[in-house]
Amino acid sequence: MNELVAKITVCIERGKVNLASPYPKDLKGQEGADELAKQAIAGGVGPEVILASCNEGMQRIGAKFGRGEAFVPELLMAAKAMNAVMAHLKPFFAAGTVKPKGKFVLGTVAGDLHDIGKNLVSMVVAGNGWEVLDLGIDVKPAKFLDAIRNNPGCVVGLSALLTTTMGNMAATVKEIKTQFPSTVVIVGGAPLSAEAAAQMGADGYAPDPQGAAAFLTKYVAAV
Amino acid sequence: MTDSQWDALLKTIKGETQHPLPVGFIIDCPWLPNWHGVRILDYFTNDALWLEANLKALRTFPDALFLPGFWSEVGMCTEPSAFGARCSFPANEFPHAHKIIRTSQDIDDLIVPDPHTDGFAPFVLNRLKLAQPHIEAAGHKIRFAVARGPLNIASYLMGTTEFLTLMMMEPDKAELLLRKITDYLKAWLTLQRETFPSIDGIFMLDDIIGFMGEDEFRTFGLPLFKELYDPSVSVRFLHNDAPCKTCAPILPEMNVNFFNMGFEVTLNELKELTQNQVTLVGNLPPRDVLAKADPAGVFAATTAMLDAMPDKSRLVFSCGGGMPPGVSTANVNAFIDAVRQHPGSKA
Repeated sequence: MNELVAKITVCIERGKVNLASPYPKDLKGQEGADELAKQAIAGGVGPEVILASCNEGMQRIGAKFGRGEAFVPELLMAAKAMNAVMAHLKPFFAAGTVKPKGKFVLGTVAGDLHDIGKNLVSMVVAGNGWEVLDLGIDVKPAKFLDAIRNNPGCVVGLSALLTTTMGNMAATVKEIKTQFPSTVVIVGGAPLSAEAAAQMGADGYAPDPQGAAAFLTKYVAAV
Repeated sequence: MTDSQWDALLKTIKGETQHPLPVGFIIDCPWLPNWHGVRILDYFTNDALWLEANLKALRTFPDALFLPGFWSEVGMCTEPSAFGARCSFPANEFPHAHKIIRTSQDIDDLIVPDPHTDGFAPFVLNRLKLAQPHIEAAGHKIRFAVARGPLNIASYLMGTTEFLTLMMMEPDKAELLLRKITDYLKAWLTLQRETFPSIDGIFMLDDIIGFMGEDEFRTFGLPLFKELYDPSVSVRFLHNDAPCKTCAPILPEMNVNFFNMGFEVTLNELKELTQNQVTLVGNLPPRDVLAKADPAGVFAATTAMLDAMPDKSRLVFSCGGGMPPGVSTANVNAFIDAVRQHPGSKA
């Protein structure tokens, strides 16, 4: 069984989704995360063990990404492989056998239609054991506020790619902090810096998806 | 650009150091309409306002090269509209195109558009044609054929996440999509060149390159860019202000000889990565310095940037990426003054 779990980790790291997936080329024709997770559950491996193997795989690919040894397509494939495993773990989450670390509400701010950064953060954070509520792109402040109201204790992530929409991000942070002062807000995106994040009143800044996951891990440890 | 400005740019690309050192900026929406004091929608829909804004920039900053110069554009919508994408134009915000490809099967049905008639391309071209006598009366010429790059257009038509995932999961479909886009782009660039014989440059914008690793780029991007950057054109200009350390060494292979980058990488690093074969246009931080600093701060940061460059050949000094929103006249002048007054500008 240990071998099976180790294989799942490799499938996540390499982005091998399932048997039919042609990617990566050197694993073509081999079983992927989907089949292996199914086998692991049938063999009695605990869902928390499988989840930990996902986290390990995502951390490995995340570290490669951070070192410039892997790129966005590889990260997307890793996340896709992880989602294939998560589909098998869903019943355990629903039954409460496995508990998420917390709820993360995420969206690209109003006026900005870019989804790549947000999606990467969503995938990596989910892979770290968080329940992610993805509000999509071009999200108006009111939608964030509704989500916070409906999900007490959630952490909020705001994404923006355009310099022109940073103003909307600042306005959203302000609105959230006015109405829900204790809600923790993290921001990220190409035009941002830690300084700009602090100026707009955010609690954290993530330069990349791993940064967001690290911030949330630190947050969990602190509460 | 005037004939003498164009000549200076060509000499710079050939490796001759110019005195004074050249300064250039990519100017477009939203900076230009905001700086001129008109709404973005008016800038896009009113030929006279568009021309006036561009001429005002030339008159205000006669020492700067404006790239591509008289850019007739509809934000990100010009090419996606030709493929049938719905385009949204908020009154004073940047317009955007919506996705049209939901599944990889939609790619089979995608029709290669005709730039003579489809989407905003005829409007863009006709605006330039109508403005041509005024542009030439001001001593300038239309120098560049302009388009978004194939990877960038694919990501608009499909969504970036979906397109990058398609590359890995269904490479044949991704290649088919890129083939159709490239066929359109070749026709679109050719039409611009045929319409304006003064064009001797191709300018493409594609920041999706920055998200890809070398293997993916060599498979999906490089062959197409080689086709699109016709080597018979003198200036083959690429803008990618996403990460560029992976693509920089490949620029000469792409036929690119003029490159505008993001501000995270220094000009010295890029000179090394490109083996000084590509002329670089950058690299002052656009938002935090050019837009946000005061003129003295811009002057000091620009001087420091020049001081850090022992070899000032194959450089056009600018900010990373295009001119960001909110840059004042005083800050542009401070930048130009810093370059002009630098010892490197003296013959």
